[in-house]
Amino acid sequence: MRLFLEKTLEWIVIALMTALAGVVIAGVLFRKLGAPLVWYDEVAPILLAWLTYYAACLAALNRAHIGFSKLVDSLPARARMAVTAVREVCVIGFFALAAWAGWRVLQVLEGEALVSLEWFPAALARSVIPVSAVVFILAEGVAYVEWLAKQEEHDA
Amino acid sequence: MSLALMLVALFALIAIDVPIAVALGLVAVAAMTMTWGAHTLPNVGLTLFDSSTNFTLIAIPLFILAGAIMNTSGISRRLLALVSSLVGFVRGGLAMVTIGSSMLLAEISGSAVAGVAALGSILIPAMQKRGYPTPFAAAVTSSASTLAVVIPPSLPMILYAVMAGTSVVELFVAGIVPGLIGGLMLMGCAYALARKRGYPVEGAFEWRKVVVAFREAIWALLLPVIVLGGIFSGWVTATEGAGLAVAASLLIGAFAYRELDWPSLKRAMITGGVQTAVVMLLVTTSALLGDYLTQLQAPQMFAAKLLAWTTNKWAILALLNLFFLLIGMFLHSAAAIILVVPIVMPLVHQAGIDPVHFGLVVTLNLGVGQQTPPVASVLVTACSVAKADIWEVTKANGWFIAVLTFVLLLMTYVPALPMSLVDYFYR
Repeated sequence: MRLFLEKTLEWIVIALMTALAGVVIAGVLFRKLGAPLVWYDEVAPILLAWLTYYAACLAALNRAHIGFSKLVDSLPARARMAVTAVREVCVIGFFALAAWAGWRVLQVLEGEALVSLEWFPAALARSVIPVSAVVFILAEGVAYVEWLAKQEEHDA
Repeated sequence: MSLALMLVALFALIAIDVPIAVALGLVAVAAMTMTWGAHTLPNVGLTLFDSSTNFTLIAIPLFILAGAIMNTSGISRRLLALVSSLVGFVRGGLAMVTIGSSMLLAEISGSAVAGVAALGSILIPAMQKRGYPTPFAAAVTSSASTLAVVIPPSLPMILYAVMAGTSVVELFVAGIVPGLIGGLMLMGCAYALARKRGYPVEGAFEWRKVVVAFREAIWALLLPVIVLGGIFSGWVTATEGAGLAVAASLLIGAFAYRELDWPSLKRAMITGGVQTAVVMLLVTTSALLGDYLTQLQAPQMFAAKLLAWTTNKWAILALLNLFFLLIGMFLHSAAAIILVVPIVMPLVHQAGIDPVHFGLVVTLNLGVGQQTPPVASVLVTACSVAKADIWEVTKANGWFIAVLTFVLLLMTYVPALPMSLVDYFYR
C-alpha cells in the first residue's frame, strides 16, 4: 500500500513541478516575445494549489509536516500511544471536514468554467480539495500504522 | 470563542504533535462554528483553495527547485571551489569558505536548510578532517546558512511580502546590505576564534588557483546575475525570476557542466515539492484563522492595546523583536511569519514603521530563531549532517548567534542601513 501510494504521489508531484516551472518559463518567454499567454495568470496558481495539496499528502506519508514532537517523544510508552491516537483523530477529522466542504463547493460550481479557458471546468480545478483530502487521510493512516508497528518493535 | 481560549487550544494541539498547519485549521473551524454556526463550514473548502492560488507564492517551489538543481548539478561545488581559492589562505580558512560560499549560494536558492544540507555535507567532513572540533564545524555552517534568509532571493521574505501585502522586490533589495554586513561580521568572528584556537590555514594564496576556479565557476556565477539582475531591473517579477532561476540552472547543469542526471533531478523535484507543500499548507490553513480574526478585528484590537501603552516606534520594534525571538525558538520561521505577521501589521502601520524595514527585521530575527533550540530547522540539519549533539553545537554557536543578534539590532535601529538602497532605487 505504502509503495503504491508513495510512487503515485511522487509522480504526481514531479508532473506538477514540471508543469508549474514550464508554464512560468513559457509565460515569461511569450510575454517578452509580445504574445502573452492569456491563461497564464489563471493556470499557474491552480497548478500551485494542486502541487500544494498532493505534495502535502506525500509529506503526510513521510510525517514531514511541521510539528512539535519533543513533548510527545518524552512521554512514557502508553501515554505516547494514547496522545498519538488523539493526534490522528484530530488530523483525520480535519481532512474529513475539508473533503466534505470541498465536495459542497464542487456541487455549487457545476457547469461553470475557468475565465481564460472556457472548456476547462472550474469544478475540476477545485476538485483538488476533496480528492487530496481523501488521499491525505489514506496517507496519514498508512503512516500511523507504520508508526504503531515501529513503537511495538521498539517496546519489544 | 475568546482569543485566549483559541490560543490555549492551539498550543494544546501543537503540544500533542498535531501538525501546526492542521492545528491552525482545527482552531479556526471550531471558532467559526461556535461563533457563526455550522452553516459556515462549506467556506472551509473555498478558503483552502483560494488561499493556495496566490501568484507571488509560486516563487517558493521554483526557487526551492532551482536550489536543488544547483546542488545536484555541480553548480554549488564550483562556487565553493572559487570561494575556497579566494579566502582559504586566511587563518580558519575552511570556516571562511563556509561563510563565503553560503553567501554566494543564498543568492540563488533562498533556502537556509538547502544551503546547510548542500555545504554541510562537503565542508563539515572537510573541517573535521583538518582538526576543527565537530560542534564548531556544525555551528559555523548553521549560522552562515542562515544568511540565506536575508540575502535575496529569500523564501521567508516572499512569505512576509504576501502576508503583509508589500513589495517582494523592495524586500529583496533591503536584504543586500544586512546580508553583506552579516557575512563579513561572521567571518570576523570565525577569524578571531580561529586565531585564538589555532585552526589551520588551507595553503597560500595563488592567483593561478583563483583564475582556474573562476573559469570553472563562470557559468555558475552567471546564475545570480541573470536572476537578481532580472528581478531588480524590473525585467521580470520575483515569480518569473524564480522561473528563470529554474531554466538557467537546468541549462547550466545539463549543458555547461553536464552533471545533471535524471535520478538527481527527479529527487530534487520531489524534495522541492514536499518542502513547498509543508509551507503552503500552513499558508492555507492559517488563512482560515486569518479570516476569522479579521472578522473579529483582532489585529486592530491588538494594535490599539499596544499603542495605548506606548506609541514610540522604537519601543514597539523592541517589543516585537523580543516577541519574534521568543516564538522563533518554538516555531518554524514560515509558521511564525504566517501566524504573527497579519496580526501585527495594523500595529506596524499605525506606529509609522516602514513595512519593508519591518519585513527585514522579522526575517533576520527568525533567522536567529533558526539557530535556537528546541525548534531550529537549520541548526538541526547541520547537527544531522555533522552527527553532533544539538546542545554541544548550540554552545559552540554562541558567538555566531551573538553576531547575528547584533546585526539584527543594527538593522532594527539604523534603518538607513537596509533601506538606503530601497529609497534610492524605488522611492
